[in-house]
Amino acid sequence: MTAGGAQLVLELRPAASRHYASWTERLGTVARFSRPDEVHALCEEAYALGARAVLAVVDAPIREALLEFQRWRDVPVWAVVPNMFAFIRDLTDLGMVGAARARFTRLGPAAMVRTGLGAVSRLGAIRRRDFATGTTLVAEMELAALRGLRVTRLFLHPQVTEVALAGGVSAAFTALADRAECLGIEAGIVTHNPLRAAAVLGRELGRFAAVVAPCNPKGYKMFPDREACEQLYRREPGRFIAAEVSAGDAVAPGPALAHVRALGLAGAVLDPRFVERAFRAGT
Amino acid sequence: MSGRPPLRAAVVGAGRMGMVHGHLLQVHPETELVGLVDRDLSLADHLASQGLRAPLYPSIEALYGATNPEAVFICTPTHTHLAVVRECLARPVHLFVEKPLATSRADAEAILRLASDARVMHAAGYVYAHLPVVQAAHQLVAKGVLGEVLRFTAHAYVSEVFGPKQGWFFQKEQAGGGVVANMASHLLFILGWLFGPIRGVTASTRSHFSRVDDSAQVLFTFATGVRGLLDTSWSVPGTQMLDYGLTIDGRNGTLVLGRERILLHLLVPAAGHDAGWSEIHASDLPADTAFDVSPHIGGEAFYRQLQTFVDACRNGVLPFCSLAEACNTQRMIEAIYASAAAGTPVEA
Repeated sequence: MTAGGAQLVLELRPAASRHYASWTERLGTVARFSRPDEVHALCEEAYALGARAVLAVVDAPIREALLEFQRWRDVPVWAVVPNMFAFIRDLTDLGMVGAARARFTRLGPAAMVRTGLGAVSRLGAIRRRDFATGTTLVAEMELAALRGLRVTRLFLHPQVTEVALAGGVSAAFTALADRAECLGIEAGIVTHNPLRAAAVLGRELGRFAAVVAPCNPKGYKMFPDREACEQLYRREPGRFIAAEVSAGDAVAPGPALAHVRALGLAGAVLDPRFVERAFRAGT
Repeated sequence: MSGRPPLRAAVVGAGRMGMVHGHLLQVHPETELVGLVDRDLSLADHLASQGLRAPLYPSIEALYGATNPEAVFICTPTHTHLAVVRECLARPVHLFVEKPLATSRADAEAILRLASDARVMHAAGYVYAHLPVVQAAHQLVAKGVLGEVLRFTAHAYVSEVFGPKQGWFFQKEQAGGGVVANMASHLLFILGWLFGPIRGVTASTRSHFSRVDDSAQVLFTFATGVRGLLDTSWSVPGTQMLDYGLTIDGRNGTLVLGRERILLHLLVPAAGHDAGWSEIHASDLPADTAFDVSPHIGGEAFYRQLQTFVDACRNGVLPFCSLAEACNTQRMIEAIYASAAAGTPVEA
């Protein structure tokens, strides 16, 4: 399967953070993808379909699967940080300091020193609970915890991204882009609000190698509407990567990718349901 | 955009929900965020760093002294809602109150009385009722597509509580309860909107981990004769966001409501729907949303909820999600806890 030059990207995140058609389907899928070998198998199916990158919110099973997968396949990870569902849960249970401490203690000694020194230089902003600083620090710690994985692109989690876009906080994005540059990797944006991203970032949008945003023939999750989004995509198709291509499983893999191809977008993100459906169909 | 001047609104309570509403009020083309209120003024820098540009005031009195909002969004802990509503209504402002409305039916009804006496528009924050698929399901039932509704089964699950929890959200006196009041109430609101007031309930609740109810099973009888079952828990694995489902059986068929689709089975055609199975997918329904503030939780429903409230304020017509409907939800919550405490059926 190809998308006519468009790069295919597998999208991984904890299976418990997705929507399902039924409770039974949810439990079956979550149980299956709690096993690293099942996630690894999914990666191989995506690879067979042509996926050559993995956009991932990394939890323990996904991390283990990707470590194994990258031993055999030259497929980079595009890391989405922080894992907001885990972070919000930690915030509720442990408070802000406890949530930060939990992430800090997961780091290796070198990363601890680096993070500690970085935090010292930003103590004032941390004390003020500055949004961009806090977000960047947590993102850095989670990124550091991904040691061993080959990461080539860095994205903020959409739950953070949309808040930053709503508030017009371009600093959250420029801090991410700066951090990515320091690490010698690229920065990207995952959003349901690409027009807002373009408005908030203006020319700075050019610093982000990829903007992952919904694109499908039904206009599903394309806000404010399909026409406005497609106008934006057409202006610079090489910067945009299509998400929600199957419109919540309402569009079959073939027509979904044909639509992306017709718009000339840089790539398409494929969720596990799409991958399994396409793989079994031998599309 | 309508060309109307923006609705000037303030947010009381700068916690998580207050920030969500604040952001939406800034983004929505028909609203303007004119102030935030929180006793913790040390939040000012944090809020500003998130791009919430309106001033932070330590009290409603200070807010009113500095600006003149037309509407107030109340996002404080539940047990404070009545006092905050009373204070806000020192002026005739439209009210949006986060769910649940109160910690008791008496407080909820007092809030409704205050708002009604002040002749202001009002709404409650049961956001899932604003999802396009939920609204489509309501239309189908209201149009009588299923014929006489006989029964339903429903669930509301989330993976949240697996050990002792801290904070006001897990104190019954402050939050009004546990999973029933704070998570399942989303579904209770939808059930009340679909089927009207309840006649009685038989309920059982349990606290597995926290000091409030972590799970509940409820048998409802509605005044219309509709009967149904709800199972809910925030201590089940597998779902990081609220997973709900609702299956409704009527004399002419069955409707299955999920997060992204409605499955419909009809015995005979009705209101343009064929006999047999059909599906209505979320992608077939207009989203009418300009900004998605929370892609994984709530999604477009937050924006639609705000639009509904703005329209109500501008048109002077109470919305379907008014505090009166939220009072119905509060009656259900209270009846569930009363039945569980008594171990017997309770008339509402």
